Amino acid sequence: MKLSMWKKPWTMKEGFLIGGGLVVIGLMVQLCFGAVPWSAIAWPLNGLLFGALLALTVIAFLMRKRIYVIRFLASYMAAIPILVYAVVLTIVMGLTRQQSGLDMNSEGTWLNDMLAFWPFVLIYVLMAVILALVILRRLAHLSSWRRDIPFVMNHLGLFLAMTTATLGNADMQRLKMVAAVGIPEWRALAVNGAIQRLPMTIELKRFIMETYDDGSAKRYASEVLIRKASGETVETTIDVNRPVEIEGWKIYQYGYDTEMGAQSHISILELVSDPWLPFVYVGIYMMLGGAVCLFVFGGRRGKTNGEVIN
Amino acid sequence: MDWSYFIYFAVVAVLLWGVGAWAAWKNKSAAAYGATLAGLLVFFCFIVSMWVSLERPPLRTMGETRLWYSFFLPLVGCIVYSRWKYKWILSFSTVLAMVFICVNLFKPEIHSKTLMPALQSPWFAPHVIVYMFAYAVLGAATVMALYMLFIKRSTVTEQEYEITDNLVYVGLAFMTFGMLFGALWAKEAWGHYWSWDPKETWAAITWFSYLIYIHYRRLPKHNARLALWVLLLSFVLLQMCWWGINYLPAAQGTSVHTYGT
Repeated sequence: MKLSMWKKPWTMKEGFLIGGGLVVIGLMVQLCFGAVPWSAIAWPLNGLLFGALLALTVIAFLMRKRIYVIRFLASYMAAIPILVYAVVLTIVMGLTRQQSGLDMNSEGTWLNDMLAFWPFVLIYVLMAVILALVILRRLAHLSSWRRDIPFVMNHLGLFLAMTTATLGNADMQRLKMVAAVGIPEWRALAVNGAIQRLPMTIELKRFIMETYDDGSAKRYASEVLIRKASGETVETTIDVNRPVEIEGWKIYQYGYDTEMGAQSHISILELVSDPWLPFVYVGIYMMLGGAVCLFVFGGRRGKTNGEVIN
Repeated sequence: MDWSYFIYFAVVAVLLWGVGAWAAWKNKSAAAYGATLAGLLVFFCFIVSMWVSLERPPLRTMGETRLWYSFFLPLVGCIVYSRWKYKWILSFSTVLAMVFICVNLFKPEIHSKTLMPALQSPWFAPHVIVYMFAYAVLGAATVMALYMLFIKRSTVTEQEYEITDNLVYVGLAFMTFGMLFGALWAKEAWGHYWSWDPKETWAAITWFSYLIYIHYRRLPKHNARLALWVLLLSFVLLQMCWWGINYLPAAQGTSVHTYGT
């Protein structure tokens, strides 16, 4: 057994070892430097990282003939073990209570903040790299649209959605605003408690609340008057499930004064700006298209020739 | 129409499905289709009348999702039967549907008419219905895997593996729809498309787990029986995602997906 290890061609055994090595590296990084500093990976650093990821995988792909490990990474033998690691680590996440942004004083362990746990993050990064490599390989060896289009949509869609959602996370802003009847408000509270000034004012005209016979909420919504920086005004109603989009912000009905109920003179709005959203949506729609293909052509087993890249 | 009428519809539907299953055993495929489809129609009438009387889609509670599940199982059984003429598939789907009907009869988790604002969305019905269909198809794949692992054992044919693969492909496609519809809806309802809520975390686990099966099956030299075990494990993870997290200490009070009963 020992002798056959690392002897080419590599099998899933080597795939599991590579993943295991990555977990160990992750643990060491976590020990030395602490959790992944996600909040620091904001624009332009995240853009640079995304560009670097793309550039490095393209360069790696171009060097695949000379470097065996790159050819190996673009094979099932590497993909399957990494999926297994991803499942196991995500199960750990599913079984432990998660709290984001653990600070030094809090009770949690590494496992309570899996999203910032280096082994977890590195396994998903390797998954993204493998995805990028198999996409490039497929694009370099197109054979039939029936096989290639679904393949690219599924894999590229997942790659785009995963990477842009993760890298764009620090650029997302989620603010809370308490809008009061008759008072134009332009300040909102960020998650970290900072007050932020918006390029518009929001004035609550009327808070709407309807209840069922048992008193539970049937509908709550805000009639608002929004004045943009340009002076242009918009009158609209913001309902739960029906956000309004203005000046790059999506404005959501978030809450209300629960003690006052229908008599509430305030309404709590949430304002969300997520500049990376279009990229994530391109990924999501590609995956949806890929799923349609999976359903239509699914499982039709052509010759599986995708294991070895050349 | 309310849950008190359920038993009548359920009994008629199960009887019709039973007749269909029996006809399939006897190789009377016309009768098998006729009876199964009639049973589905009867059952669907109940779902529709619940939808009308509740003034909302019956998709909110566990009991209501079981209703759809017991509807989709014979439907999937019928589709599998029509494509591959398996005599036993209708019996299995009938028995499984009956289990879920019995759960609804004995532990109904009866529900009020109310539908909280967060659930009042055009995404609600597609998100849940597509997921229930995926679960039913993947349930059928699981039944195939059990049958091949423990009943047919060494005499499993290549065609049976292919059926199982096809079921997983269809199931995974619908699971992907369900998950991504959920993401698009979450953006409209909660402001973000993916929040690693316990339900989402387990949905990702389940999705990746079925991806392992699909990729492993495409390896030229693989252990087919091990692949079937992966399928069984995936279905266990799916149960965790569907209802297991309601009992999971780590998920208590943190999931925005728990709408109670």
